[in-house]
Amino acid sequence: MRRKGLSYAKYGYIFCIPFVLAFLIFSLYPIIYTAVIGFTDLKGLGRTDFKILENPFQNFITIIKNASFQQSLKNTIIIWVVNFIPQILIALLLTAWFTNHRNKIKGQGAFKVLFYMPNIITAATIAILFYSLFGYPKGPVNDLFMMLGITDEPIYFLIQKSTARGIVSFIQFWMWYGYTMIVLISGVLGMNPELFEASEIDGATSAQTFFFITLPNLRTILLYTLITSLIGGLNMFDIPRLFLLGGPDNATLTTSVFIYNQAFSGSYMYNRAAAASMIMFVIIAILSGMIFYIMRDKDAAQLKKFQKKQQKALRAAEKAGRRADG
Amino acid sequence: MKRYIAFLLTFVFVMSLALTGCGKANDSKDSSTSTQTESSSSKETKKEETKTEKKEEPAGDAGANEANEVSNDPNVKVINLWSFTDEVPNMLEKYKELNPDFPYEIKTTIIATTDGAYQPALDQALASGGADAPDIFCAEAAFVLKYTQGDASQYAAAYKDLGIDVDRLLKEAEIAQYTVDIGTNPDGNLVGLGYQATGGAFIYRRSIAKDVWGTDDPNVIKDKIGPGLDKFFEAAEELKQKGYGIVSGDGDLWHAVENSSEEGWIVDGKLNIDPKREAFLDYSKRLKDNNYHNDTQDWQDAWFADMKDAGAKKIFGFFGPAWLINYVMAGNSGGSAPGEGTYGDWAVCEPPVGFFWGGTWVLANKDTKVPAAVGDIIEWITLDSSETGLQYFWANGTLNGPGGTKDTVASGTVMKKSDGTLDFLGGQNMFDVFVPAGEFANGKNLTQYDETINLYWRDQVREYSAGNKSREQALADFKQQVADNLDVIVE
Amino acid sequence: MRVKSNKSLYIGKIIKYFVCIFLAILSIFPFWIMLTNATRSTYEIQQNSISLIPSTYLLDNIRVLLGKSFNPLKGFINSMIISTGATLCTVYFSSLTAYALVAYDWRLRQPFFTFILAVMMIPAQVTSIGFYQFMYRVHMTNNFLPLILPAIASPATVFFMRQYLLATLSIDIVNSARIDGAREFYIFNKIILPIMKPAVATQAIFSFVGSWNNLFMPLILLTDNDKYTMPIMVSLLRGDIYKTEFGSVYLGLSLTVLPLFVIYFMLSKYIIAGVALGGVKE
Repeated sequence: MRRKGLSYAKYGYIFCIPFVLAFLIFSLYPIIYTAVIGFTDLKGLGRTDFKILENPFQNFITIIKNASFQQSLKNTIIIWVVNFIPQILIALLLTAWFTNHRNKIKGQGAFKVLFYMPNIITAATIAILFYSLFGYPKGPVNDLFMMLGITDEPIYFLIQKSTARGIVSFIQFWMWYGYTMIVLISGVLGMNPELFEASEIDGATSAQTFFFITLPNLRTILLYTLITSLIGGLNMFDIPRLFLLGGPDNATLTTSVFIYNQAFSGSYMYNRAAAASMIMFVIIAILSGMIFYIMRDKDAAQLKKFQKKQQKALRAAEKAGRRADG
Repeated sequence: MKRYIAFLLTFVFVMSLALTGCGKANDSKDSSTSTQTESSSSKETKKEETKTEKKEEPAGDAGANEANEVSNDPNVKVINLWSFTDEVPNMLEKYKELNPDFPYEIKTTIIATTDGAYQPALDQALASGGADAPDIFCAEAAFVLKYTQGDASQYAAAYKDLGIDVDRLLKEAEIAQYTVDIGTNPDGNLVGLGYQATGGAFIYRRSIAKDVWGTDDPNVIKDKIGPGLDKFFEAAEELKQKGYGIVSGDGDLWHAVENSSEEGWIVDGKLNIDPKREAFLDYSKRLKDNNYHNDTQDWQDAWFADMKDAGAKKIFGFFGPAWLINYVMAGNSGGSAPGEGTYGDWAVCEPPVGFFWGGTWVLANKDTKVPAAVGDIIEWITLDSSETGLQYFWANGTLNGPGGTKDTVASGTVMKKSDGTLDFLGGQNMFDVFVPAGEFANGKNLTQYDETINLYWRDQVREYSAGNKSREQALADFKQQVADNLDVIVE
Repeated sequence: MRVKSNKSLYIGKIIKYFVCIFLAILSIFPFWIMLTNATRSTYEIQQNSISLIPSTYLLDNIRVLLGKSFNPLKGFINSMIISTGATLCTVYFSSLTAYALVAYDWRLRQPFFTFILAVMMIPAQVTSIGFYQFMYRVHMTNNFLPLILPAIASPATVFFMRQYLLATLSIDIVNSARIDGAREFYIFNKIILPIMKPAVATQAIFSFVGSWNNLFMPLILLTDNDKYTMPIMVSLLRGDIYKTEFGSVYLGLSLTVLPLFVIYFMLSKYIIAGVALGGVKE
């Protein structure tokens, strides 16, 4: 077996070549390029020549001191947290319901299809739609609120910072909970059915099964969800830009919108935008690293188990374990 | 392991060198491999374009505005036109009709200025060059200076280099001085001209005027709402007693305030808040606190709705140039003949403060391969004062046959022989008001970042008038936003 | 135990259906508004921007929409080329990479997987400045390839595919195929890909939707209006500066969603059935 594995090993490399090539050309090279621009004086329209600044970190200092950037970082985190917490909770709840064998929800297929649907509409469309929904002084939501007696005067939702952020968070939640749910359901379906049978025999309630069996075993997929959502959330662009252009009073200005504004509107400050991009990259890398670190032990243990099962050489497994640790 | 990492890194750098080094070679390879995605005809023109590009020497020497000899590249068959409305594209339809032998295909790109999308796209198209680069492009008052005098002025061709006899035609057509000032680059060469005159007036509802003051005569109403904004607010109070709003939102007043100020947003590279513009904070607050308007934002649903009485209360009037009447208000009045909606119930009078608003300038790319053809088109649009020139059609609304929308134009010669009577205004001749209004227009208070800065300013004014922050805070935040986002010194 | 909790089970059920139906309405509502508004006149929409009842102005709106420089067919074809190309690249090469990670025993396998997890963290927009400058230098603006080829390396999809293969792939199938003399590429294309169909379908939906709706990169890279994608056209629809024809704007929006609907419902059985991912090995 081991011998055979060795003789086919070269295909492992061969099959990864397209991925690696595309990554090097379209991701790594632009990253390095971006990083370099961050240290230069590249600004202004249509320029391609640049030189390193006297103080190479000037752009980074400018950006970190920039009040709008600080504000945008704060906004991004607020909007992400406010949308992600309900999103993951609702997705987990729906996952629990939809994977519960004991009392199935009728029409769950239709529900699943519908819940993912908001994700397929273009952000531009959603932005226009919500803009008219929350119109002022006349708009459907205002009409509804006044009809129900919640308020006597129309509310100017889109110039209040908190409501504007709230609406953006809601849109993000609404667009993504279906996706998260589908991924989580996939994770549950991959679990060993014996686990559930065993817990049922032990007389566990649905809730107990979910909290003590499903959730712990969903760790890898939760990690995946957390990381992808974190990355997506910290790069939120379409909705904040199209919905209110980052307003009112910068309340929905996210870091991506900030970067876009620096680079592509007004003064074309590519260098400052690149510096801001690299700062964001570092922040994301640190946060992701922290999440990995928190979930490290179990992950490595799982990896080891899996590798044993594949009858992999112990030495390689340990090496890998050390790498994952480091 | 280290060996592999080292290998990877070297690979990346070799790769990157190779990729930047042979950009040209890559390009030709790409265009041949991407036949599926590109139509074959456009591919061919691209190749031809790159060939001629190398031969051509950049033309251009500073001097008087005398026409230079120019000729077209016979291989180029396409003229790219960039605009933010369909106005200029429609003009070119007419131009083709008048010149049946016109051998070029016009490729039009229209991107609206809403959301600030037009400038970044245009800038990139200009910077990228090649066959897709614009030959003719349009710029609006809010950002035209960037293309005539500012960061992007290097792309604009001098009219004289397009074979246009600028000095003679300017005199002959009596072009409004402010469009010339705005369109002249720092070297003294004319690079852009507008076809409209956009001096503003106050456009009001006749029925409401009768209800409040017993008459709808423009000569009486102009003394009710002005001169000066103090009288304007007195009128607002009178209108309020009868349950009317004087304007739809503070944005209406902003255009009047903005363009009547002495200085623009930027003076000597520094942010400058003209006292007249700063006072807008107070005007906006006063309108809001006293409930003089429907608190709408210009260009949003509720603003359009007020043009046909679909808002919370009826609105007396709008500040605007002639184009606002025909292009915005008529279409949103809820009717198309007197008696329908608010159509025909409007009149224009002198505004409480003079101003101008908007306008489209037409520029050419200095790298265009067909300067003579482009020059002919631009001359026809901006400087031809004959009865077959664009401006005559434009002023009289005969561009697409009789009965079209009328507008004020830049050429005084054309205005003198045109008639501005409109059914929408109950038969009033709008040129009687708009032609003198043109004197208020000047190009001195514009800057190249106006579009972006106005966005921040209006945002902060809204915050202040809505009571979300103090006046000082709003001003401080405004300065901060400008400093953070633009290459402008803020003190 | 079942008898005891019968009543609470019943209440629980009501709550479940209530929540599900509420969320379903929330999902359908905007689509419905969009479609009804596509049949209403600008005047009607301004009077009352939301209505559940369609009106009679569909033909007018179609005329207005086509009168603008809005060419839905062109946008549709462009978006289709980009999205299909990117989706094919994503699912095929991600499956291939995932297969390499699961089926073969090679020295750098584990480091490579760690590498992919790390790469997953690099957000596309962070690199956009460099990417744009790079494409500008090699004259690849106004070209679809920069929007398609990067999809070959989509780490998140590789991760998903790997988890799926871990749960479903039996190495015996591969071995027996080898005994029959099949070559490795043949095995992947003819045996493994069909096994992966549910995961491929799910990821194809995600990837297609993501690519179809991508606004940021196309907006930066495509300046020729013959090359505009649907989302660019939509984002420009709103802004006919002088007059906003809301009815036709909504019609345009509806048109952009329709193709996605068709593809989504074609593949939706895989969403219903679900994909089993190998989250954990017991």
